[in-house]
Amino acid sequence: MAGATLLYQGTEYHPEGARLDGDELWLTLPDLTSATGWELKPEGVCKDEICVPVPAARRSALIHEGASGSEFDVTEFARLIEQPFAHDEKHGVWDFGPPGWEWKTRLASREAPEFALPDLTGHVHTLSRLRGNKIFLLFWATW
Amino acid sequence: MITIAADARGAAAAEPFISAAHQRHPSLLDEKFTVAELYDVRNVPAAFWIDEDGRIVRAGDPIYAQRRNRETGEVTVNKEYLDAVRDWVAKGPRSDYLMGQERLAARLPALDFDDVIAAADFQLGTYLAMHGHAADALVHFKKAHALRPESWTYKRQAWSLGDIERDYGTTFQEAVKDPASGPFYPPLDLG
Repeated sequence: MAGATLLYQGTEYHPEGARLDGDELWLTLPDLTSATGWELKPEGVCKDEICVPVPAARRSALIHEGASGSEFDVTEFARLIEQPFAHDEKHGVWDFGPPGWEWKTRLASREAPEFALPDLTGHVHTLSRLRGNKIFLLFWATW
Repeated sequence: MITIAADARGAAAAEPFISAAHQRHPSLLDEKFTVAELYDVRNVPAAFWIDEDGRIVRAGDPIYAQRRNRETGEVTVNKEYLDAVRDWVAKGPRSDYLMGQERLAARLPALDFDDVIAAADFQLGTYLAMHGHAADALVHFKKAHALRPESWTYKRQAWSLGDIERDYGTTFQEAVKDPASGPFYPPLDLG
């Protein structure tokens, strides 16, 4: 499949070796790590401090050992970690949201989520930088 | 004070307003709605009070600094809300205007899987619309609207990237009355 676009938790990536099989999106292992940050390791599928074990019963649905290298099914992995995704067939674009452990607990602690966003000059501001002050945070839009 | 423009058109849309207001606080841009999603912003404006320890003590207030009388056109400062903010600044945790757990839970409900699928379709629709495929974005926007009808953010942003009557077969006035969507704004509730 030519010209696949992944929007993975807000980051856009164009994998070189994406393969579409029905509704399944398969990536090479280097593309997997570049596009999503997830890496296949002996202990599971890992990113930062988190490793998701691969259940034996789902291993063949997640990983193909092909002649030209291994492939990983990111859509099947999304189902495993309760990650929402949306797909546009015509344009070959996929959007993946956050994993279940993030969206299920979001805001539950009432702790204000940290963020880093630019102003008009491109200077990036974080919430944590203002810790120790009361903060009035206002979302607006022109629409 | 921090303001965040949750607007797919980013600086192109927000700059005239930010510049005209001569803002001195951080005026930030969230064109991918990353932070708006983290705070579950279902309409704008939406104001949050965050205390010195980084905890949300009021959430999602549909607040304007000024009010306009629909009949007379008279514009007045929203003193009631400003007084509430001043009360919080002066009294901190002893302010009468902090939300308890029950009211915070009503403003920040737990998400279900349909809600986050809606977010993915909204993101995908926005991406397509911003890349010159506004017509192809509609199927994703409509799916997001059906899965999360209470999000006016998803609707208003989508409408602004197309034509509400042509693309969605409704008008703003009709859509606001649709009982499936629930209220346009939550009650301000300063009690």
